[in-house]
Amino acid sequence: MIGKSEINIFIPAYNEAATIAQVIQDIRSLGYQKIFVVDDGSTDQTNAQATHAEAEIITHLINRGAGAATQTAIECARQLNLQYILLMDADGQHLPQDIDKLVKRMSKGDCDLVIGSRFLNNVQGMPLSRKWFNHIANWLTNLVCQKHYTDSQSGLRMLNRKAVERLHLKLDEFGFCSEMIYLAEQGNLIIAEVPTETVYTPYSLNKGQNFFKGIQTALSLISKIIFR
Amino acid sequence: MELRFFQIIVPLIALYFIANLIFNFRKSQITIAEMIIGNIFWVAALIFALFPDHISTKIALVFGIESNVNAIIFFCIGLLFLNQFKMYFLIRKQEKSLTILTRKLALKNYSEEGNS
Repeated sequence: MIGKSEINIFIPAYNEAATIAQVIQDIRSLGYQKIFVVDDGSTDQTNAQATHAEAEIITHLINRGAGAATQTAIECARQLNLQYILLMDADGQHLPQDIDKLVKRMSKGDCDLVIGSRFLNNVQGMPLSRKWFNHIANWLTNLVCQKHYTDSQSGLRMLNRKAVERLHLKLDEFGFCSEMIYLAEQGNLIIAEVPTETVYTPYSLNKGQNFFKGIQTALSLISKIIFR
Repeated sequence: MELRFFQIIVPLIALYFIANLIFNFRKSQITIAEMIIGNIFWVAALIFALFPDHISTKIALVFGIESNVNAIIFFCIGLLFLNQFKMYFLIRKQEKSLTILTRKLALKNYSEEGNS
């Protein structure tokens, strides 16, 4: 089993002052101590809150999108020669306890990228528009990928060193979720999914993706595949 | 076939731009997608200039318009579209550069703060 001290948790965050400190505290209470926040040019107190919560802070001077923040996280892991990284959202929608599930799956040693899937269990509380968005995004992702994935848009992911070395994302916006899966397959990485829970609050529902962003995401991904 | 003045000038301009696009692609200043889309436009302009009456009649059948004046208007609209297309790629390139710069600065600042 991979030790908790070997796990480096990266949280891309943009204007998440309301939740970031609690998210860090919850993760830390489970025994994970290496927590990095990639502040994507927040204009609120996100940076100060994360600093106060004693996370390592990497700051984008201006907002460049969730994909860009994830690229920075992966690049940082490459530079620091980290063996395992875990990416999670800053809005508190992931249950911190699910981190253990991803670590356990990665510990089997037969995969390079583990995705926390909201659709392997019965999804509760997800609004219809978001369900539609996820279905369309999954359909599009599966269309260009060799295997079938149940949750291509999940922000809860764990990567080993091999994945960190091979994944060079290009998309700055939310399209990076599908892009990562696509590039992982292209780079002969093995992808696994584990069932995870999601907490939907009015706050988290205002964040993240919606149907119109989804269309933009789909167009970015298609453009990336056609014009690569 | 009797060639009119614009039937000589427009294909020459189109050939210049086609060569220019290929040259820029070979120098890696534009992507293959930009080169292909740009060339599609200029080849279309070239063909349109060589056979304006035939094509405008075909267009007239579809859209209900005709005459060479209309052909010029179409050509100008096409130019505007091409310009829009070039602007789109230019902005996209600038956005990408901005992201690269932002990310590099973030990691540089982080490593410097970590070492200090």
